[in-house]
Parts: sequence; structure tokens; C-alpha cells
Amino acid sequence: MPADRPTSDHFLPLKPVELLVLTMLTAGERHGYGIRQDIAEHTAGTLVLEAGNLYRSIRKLESDGLIDESGRRPAADADDERRRYYRLTALGKRVLAAEMLRLRALVRIAEERRIIAPVHA
Amino acid sequence: MTSKRAPSNDLRPAPGERLYRALLHLYPKEFRARYGEAMVEFYRDRWRSDHQHGRGGVWLLWRAVLGDLLSTVPPELLSNLRATNRPTISSQPLPREETMSTLAQDVYFALRGMARRPLFTAIVLATLALGIGANAAIFSVVNGILLRPLPFAEADRIVAFSHEDPYWSISEPEFMDYARDVKSLTRLAAYQPIETSLTGEGEPERVQAARVSDGFFSILGVPTLRGRSFTKEDDMFGRPRVAVVSYGLWQRRFAGDSSIVGQRIALNGTPFEVVGVMPPRFDFPSPKVALWIPLRLRPESLWTRNNHYFVAVGKMRPGIKLSSLTAEVRALDTRWMRDFPETYFPDKVLKARIVPITDHLLGATRPYLISLLGAVGFVLLIACVNVANLLLARGEGRRKELAIRTALGASRKRVVQQLLTESGTLALLGGAIGFALAWLGLRGLIALAPPSIPRLDEVRIDFGVLLFTIVLSVATGLLFGLVPALKVARTDSSESLKDGGKAAAGTGVTRSVRGALVVAEVALAVVMLVGAGLLARSLWKLQAIELGFDPARVLTMRVSLPGQNYSDARAVQYFDDVVTRIRAMPGVQDATAMGWTPLVDGGGGWSIMVDGRVLKTIAESPSSQPAQVTPGYFKTLGISIMRGRAFTEADRQGAPPVAVVNEAMARQLWPGQDPLGHTFKMFNDQAPWVTVVGVARDIRSSGFLADVPPTMFFPYAQAGTSAYYTPRAMTVAVRTAGDPMALAGAVRQAARALDASAPISDVRSMDDVVGASTADRRFMTELLGGFAALALLLAGIGIYGVIAYGVSQRTYEIGVRMALGAGTRKVMLLILGEGLRLTVVGLGIGFAGALVAARFIRSLLVEITIVDPLSLSATALVLLGVAAFACVIPARRASGVSPTEALRGG
Repeated sequence: MPADRPTSDHFLPLKPVELLVLTMLTAGERHGYGIRQDIAEHTAGTLVLEAGNLYRSIRKLESDGLIDESGRRPAADADDERRRYYRLTALGKRVLAAEMLRLRALVRIAEERRIIAPVHA
Repeated sequence: MTSKRAPSNDLRPAPGERLYRALLHLYPKEFRARYGEAMVEFYRDRWRSDHQHGRGGVWLLWRAVLGDLLSTVPPELLSNLRATNRPTISSQPLPREETMSTLAQDVYFALRGMARRPLFTAIVLATLALGIGANAAIFSVVNGILLRPLPFAEADRIVAFSHEDPYWSISEPEFMDYARDVKSLTRLAAYQPIETSLTGEGEPERVQAARVSDGFFSILGVPTLRGRSFTKEDDMFGRPRVAVVSYGLWQRRFAGDSSIVGQRIALNGTPFEVVGVMPPRFDFPSPKVALWIPLRLRPESLWTRNNHYFVAVGKMRPGIKLSSLTAEVRALDTRWMRDFPETYFPDKVLKARIVPITDHLLGATRPYLISLLGAVGFVLLIACVNVANLLLARGEGRRKELAIRTALGASRKRVVQQLLTESGTLALLGGAIGFALAWLGLRGLIALAPPSIPRLDEVRIDFGVLLFTIVLSVATGLLFGLVPALKVARTDSSESLKDGGKAAAGTGVTRSVRGALVVAEVALAVVMLVGAGLLARSLWKLQAIELGFDPARVLTMRVSLPGQNYSDARAVQYFDDVVTRIRAMPGVQDATAMGWTPLVDGGGGWSIMVDGRVLKTIAESPSSQPAQVTPGYFKTLGISIMRGRAFTEADRQGAPPVAVVNEAMARQLWPGQDPLGHTFKMFNDQAPWVTVVGVARDIRSSGFLADVPPTMFFPYAQAGTSAYYTPRAMTVAVRTAGDPMALAGAVRQAARALDASAPISDVRSMDDVVGASTADRRFMTELLGGFAALALLLAGIGIYGVIAYGVSQRTYEIGVRMALGAGTRKVMLLILGEGLRLTVVGLGIGFAGALVAARFIRSLLVEITIVDPLSLSATALVLLGVAAFACVIPARRASGVSPTEALRGG
């Protein structure tokens, strides 16, 4: 692996908002407001992002190469074609996975120490 | 799934979208270019979705949007700054500290710190902004009205010249003598304010004017804007009639016509040639003066020495003191008293009244403005004390943080720099908001102020004072922001770290400093509350004074008949017809015409002879204020007839001359007797004897606070014979069943229909007239009350800050106390007691201060003394209440401390 190629670990830990955005994009392409809606839905409405906060994160993720703007559009009748849609890049997926692994390790510790009950899959 | 979430693909803009789009310009250009459109879409979606679900509303949406902007714009700007400063784009970003300028970094930290403590930040910013804003606004007003020199040349040498009671004015021979004999004056000019009807092109108009003698304009030292002022020849009898018009009249009536000089205007039907225009803002002797005409005394045939009817302005010789001028003039007065015993009666002393022109023009407003200035000064002091207090508390709480920084290698210089940047940023932000507040406040003040306050149009925001207040508040911020920094520099950082910050605030010195600050704050607030209380009580007392007539539902309107077209009989007929027409209108209960409007103007004082006794000299004769009224006057104004009868239609020209006198006149002339049937007459050989047929209740015709002058009422129809002349300008008063102003148009129309050439002016309700007479006082009292409330609020915040902070720092101690058995109640009382102790000390000092301060407003008090138990006890109660409220929140928190938590965690 060339030295200047960023490794996934270089981006860790992710900020909570970035983590959420990446996670939501795993379901498919989203535009900004769609990401907000997804986050709100998956956090039972406890976390709602505003435009400035969201697009600052998007800017960061985009410039780090974790997400990019999608060239494709959904069906033309479904939405306005000026909207910008975002999707995960390959690097983004790797970083997200790395972050999730890191979080899982943390969750394990918490489970072992009985801070939360272990989930038996 | 995506399309399901997009609420709509409607492209119409949502409400507020344009504003949002504009606000996006706060972001750096690159960011906006890249995401601006998307953010607007986001806003639109968000609005639609909220709207669809009936959630929140505009307020909630914008609260979120503004919060978002506030928290993301500054970091975005900063990171933009960093990005542009970065020399090369490296995939391995350098640590922040090395790439960012120190100042930008400190500002960034400061802003981040502020955003993290929104309550603290909001309180400090609001305190600073209110202190700065209120001060700059009020000082600008005071400066514009009081301090900025009057638009006269060498105003300090100009004096207003008149007589003390009972003469007030100056007579023609007196004026000639003064002008000739007084050596301390370079010049003296007489003037008489008059009203006149301006006719010619356009609507006939009633305007205020002044007859002025030669030298009037040169004493005031103001050159004309166009044309010339009066010459010595203009002031001579028999020369062509000329006039100088005001800038306002020139603009309003002549549309600023450049050929105004040389044009003719008609005053009361007589033509005058306009020879000059005065510059804007020259408004002596009254703000509404529209033109000046020469007085034209006739030295060869002056009126008698006892006919006092004008006043004067003079210019002192350079280097002469006011006291020596007064002494010289009064010596002259004393000599005249001796030389003219038939004119000046020994118990009516002639005494000149000479005051600097500034006092003459602004005297009534000055005490209010001074007390306002004092009040805002106090607000500023309290604001600074509060900021100091808050910053001290904040700084103490950060000792641990600062110790960590020092321990990690930050130099002390670096830490001090950081702290200074933080408090400086805070102070500057507060100053900026304060500036906006001052600007808004000043506009509000000018808009709300009653028109009777002089020179209000000259008020501009005073940048000097704005700068001063901002510098003061920034200095406060820096100074008190520095205290924790200096402490860090002094103390051993390992100590602060070791005790875990538990006892960090326990240092006795700062606690007592902060206690003293709160005491000072409370004391200042007490002074202001007492002052505002005294003024408010005075206003209530004043308004509770019985006027003697009922101003409710009365419409008044001034009608001025063109003199040359009307004989006495025609004038009487005209007002008879007007009143009859108005009475026939629906909604009208009664109507009358009267020579002057109570509280607005009066009839002066005329000398009379009583009960057939012929007096040798006028000096012995009593005087009384004449009022010419049509029948229906007493009923329309609701003035009770105490004895005898009011006027009837039968009291006409040719019928036996009759009069109604007021109680004051009855008491003065016929003490202990029944005035009915007694007679009096004008001090004039031709005048007939007039029989008193009724006594009317006293009305406070000259104002709430003025004495009721002896007044004699004449039937308007008989005034020409029994009271010298028949006035052509009368006030028509109408008592209505409903809102009087609703009838204004119809009443005006009725007067118009009978003579369209008669100017109609001052159409207003009697309630407005009464309100206007106390408007200055009410306005100032409300302002002072507002500032006192502000002071109270700030003091409350101060108390809260100190107590709450004390509690948070004493959690450990409180935990120990509770572990040792102190109950919740006891802990609450402990905290409350501490707050109230500070308050009571402040109250005591404040009362002492209030007694001193109240002396300055003594002249404004009505029927109360400076030690007013009600004001004092109300102040004490309010302050204790506020203090208790401010302490209850932290006290409850203290009593909720869990001993185990407190002892374990600290």
C-alpha cells in the first residue's frame, strides 16, 4: 500500500454526525434533507440536524473522499433534478466498517463490565 | 424510499426562504457556492414537512435555523481562514495550533466557549448592550437638548428679561428706560408673542408670530438665510410693513420658493412685504413661531407705564456677570418705585427677572434630563458591576482548566492572552449590540416623546458618548476577565489540580469583593427605584388634582375670524350661528365659544374698580383674568355654578351688563359676603359698571399645579362694551355623547360653511389638552421607571449570579453539613439568608443615597416630600422580593445536594 494512500484508521474516530451520515447512506443515495429524515427516524426523533451542521459534515466527508455526489438521479418524476444526491465511496464504506468495529469493541467492554446487558443474537 | 422522504417537489419558495438565502451569505463564499442551493432546498423541505404535520410553526423553525447559523458560521469562517492560509494541501493535515494564527485561534475558542454557555453569554451580552445602549441614547438626547450650544451667537451673554410676579411683563416706558439706562447691557430688544391669521394663496391659517423691536435679531446673533432682517427704519411707525418668515413656514406654505423675498403676505388682512427668511431651527421665542414683524413703538406717544404687555431679550457687555446686571437693574426698579408711586404700589414690588437664555428656554426640561442622565449612568454602573461579577465567577470556575493548560505547557503569557481575548470578544460583541440598541432606542425616544420637549429635532446619536460607554464596558470586561488569569499566574498550578477544584472559589477575598459588588448594585437600584417611585407618585398626585371641569368627551377647535370683515355685532352673530348649528347635530349635548382654552392659554390680568369706589391710581386696583364666553359655557365644560345663575341668551348687547366671577375672585374682593349684586368695572372711564349675577367654581385654568387666578366671565355679546373689545378668535367647545373626535369633521364643516375664510386650528379633544399639559412629566416618569426596572432586573441577575455560583462551589461544604444532619430547610435558609443579608446592606446604603439623590428632583415632586414612606417601603419590598426570588433557585439546588455525591465526587 503506497505511503500516501490514507488508511481507514487515519479517519477514526468519526464525529457522531459524520458517523450517522455515513450510516444512513448505506441504505442508498440520499439528498441532504433525506439524510436528516433518516437520522430523525432512526433516532426516534431525538436527533434532528439543521442545514448548516449537516452540510458542514458533508463538506468534510466529501473532501476526505468518504462520500461523493451521485451522478445518477432517481426516476425523474420522483424528484427535482437540481437536488444533490450523495453516496458512500469505497473508502467511505471501509472507514465506516472500521469505525463500527471500533465501536463494537467498546460495546463489548461495556457488556463485559455489565454496564449494558449483552445482546445474544 | 428516497422519494417518499422528500415531502414535495414543489418549487415555489417557502415563507422566509429569501431571508434564509440572504443569511447564507454569512458563510464563506466557497461553502455557499457549493452547498447554498442545497441548503435552501433543505430549508424548503423542512418548512413544508413541518407545515404538513402541523408542527412547530415559524418561530420554532427559525429558532432552530438561527441556532444552526450561529453555531456553524463562525467555525466555518475560521476553517476557511485556515484553509486559505495553508501553504500546500497535504494529505497529512498539520496540527491545528501550527496552522492557525494565535489570535484567530483564541477568538475561535472564545466563540466556542460562548456558544457552550449560552445563558452566561446571553446575560453578559444583554447587560452590556443595555448599559451601553441606554446610556448612548439618553446622553445623545441630553446633549442635543441641554449641552449643545443654542443656535445663537455668544449665547452665554444673552439674557431673557422680564419682571417677577405680579407684573411679569414690561411696559413701553419701562422698556425705553431700561434700554437707555442699563449700562451692563449692550442692547435690549422687546418682543411680544402673538397669533395672527395668514391669508392669501391657500387655506387661511392661524400662525404664531412675534412682534419684535429693533435689535432682536442682532442680539440673538443669527443671520437670515435669505434677504435681510429688520432695520431701525422698519421699526418706525408709519414705514412700510415688513415681515421675516421662518424656514418652516417658507418650506410649508411657500414650498421653498426662491423668490419669496419681496412677496406680499396678508396678516389679519393687512399686507406685509417679506424681507427675509430665517435659517432652520431658529425658533425663538417659541418652537411654533412662523414669522416676525416689527413692534414699532411710538416713542412720542407711549402707552402708560402700568400697561405691561411684552418681554425682552438683552445682550450683556463682555465680562459682565449676571449678578451685577441684576443688581444694576433692580436698583433702577427700586428708584422707579419711589419716582412713580401712582404706578407701583408698595405691596406690589417691581423686580426684574433676568435669566440666561438657556435657562429661559430649557429650564422646565432640565431637571428631568439631569435625573434621566443620572439614571442611565446608574444603569451603566450596575451593568459594569454585573459584568465584573459574572466574569469573576466564571474565571474562578475555570481555575482548574487554566491550571491544566499551564501544566500542559502553556506559558502564562499565552493563558493571559487567551483570557483577554475571551473577555475582549465578549465586550466588543456587547458593544456592537449596544450600538444597535442605542440607535433603535434613540429613534424610539424621538418618536414617543411629546412635542413639547424643546429641540428634540436637534438630537443625533452622540458618537463620543457611544465610544465612551463602549470603552468603559470593554475596559470592565478586560479588567475583570484578567483577574483569574493573574491568579493563575500567582498560584501553583499543581495545588489547583490536587484539590480537584473543590475549594477553588473559596478564597475569601474574591467572595467578599463579589459580595461588595452585589451590595453596590443593590444600592444603586434602590436609589433609582426610590427616585422613580417619587416621580410616579407625584404624577398620580398631580393627575388626581381636581381640575374643576370635566374634560371628558369635549371637542375644542380654534376659529379665527378675519378681523377686517367683521364688526362686533357680526362676530357675535357668527359664533351664535356656529354654536346653534353644532348644537343641532346628532351626538352633540352642548356647545359654546370661549375666548381662551383652559390649560392652553389665558386672558392675562386686567385692572378693575369695585363697587363704585373710584380709585386714584391703578396701583391700588385689583386685577382679574377676563374670559369672554357664550351662554352654555359653564354647562358645556361642566363647571358648577355655586351661586346665582349662568349666562342666558338674554344677556345681549343692550341688556344690563352682567358678569359671573369665580370663587377665587369672590374670595378676594368680597370675603365673607355674598358677591351677587356687587358691581365692578374695567379701570377705564368709558366702561360701564357690571353686576355680578353668579359665582362659578374655580377651575385650574393655568395647569394642574398653578394657582387659580381670580377670573371674571363676560357674556361674549356684551364684551365689546363691558370688557374693552369683542375677541375675533374664539375656541369652540362641544360636549358630545360619544367620542368627541368622531365629530371633528362635522364641527369643522359647520364653521367652514358659515365663513370659509376663517382659519380653523387646534382641533383636538379636551382630554388631549389635559394630557398634553402633563405629557413631559409622564414621558420622563415612564422613562425613569423603565430604567429603574432595568436596574432592578440587573441587580436581581447580580444577586442570582453570586449566590448560584457560591452554591455550586460549596457543594462539598453543603454535603458535609447535610451529612452531619442539617435538613433541607436549614440549607435553604442558609443560602437565602446569605442573599438577603447582602440585599439588606445594599438597601440601607441605597436609602441613604436616595435621600441625597432625591434633593435633585425635589423641584419635580408634587404633594410629597423626599422622604416618602410609601415609595421607600415599596422599594424595600420589591427589592427583597427580587432578591428572594434570585436566591430561591440556587437555594433549592443546594437543598437537593446529595451528601454522598457531594462528598465522593466533589
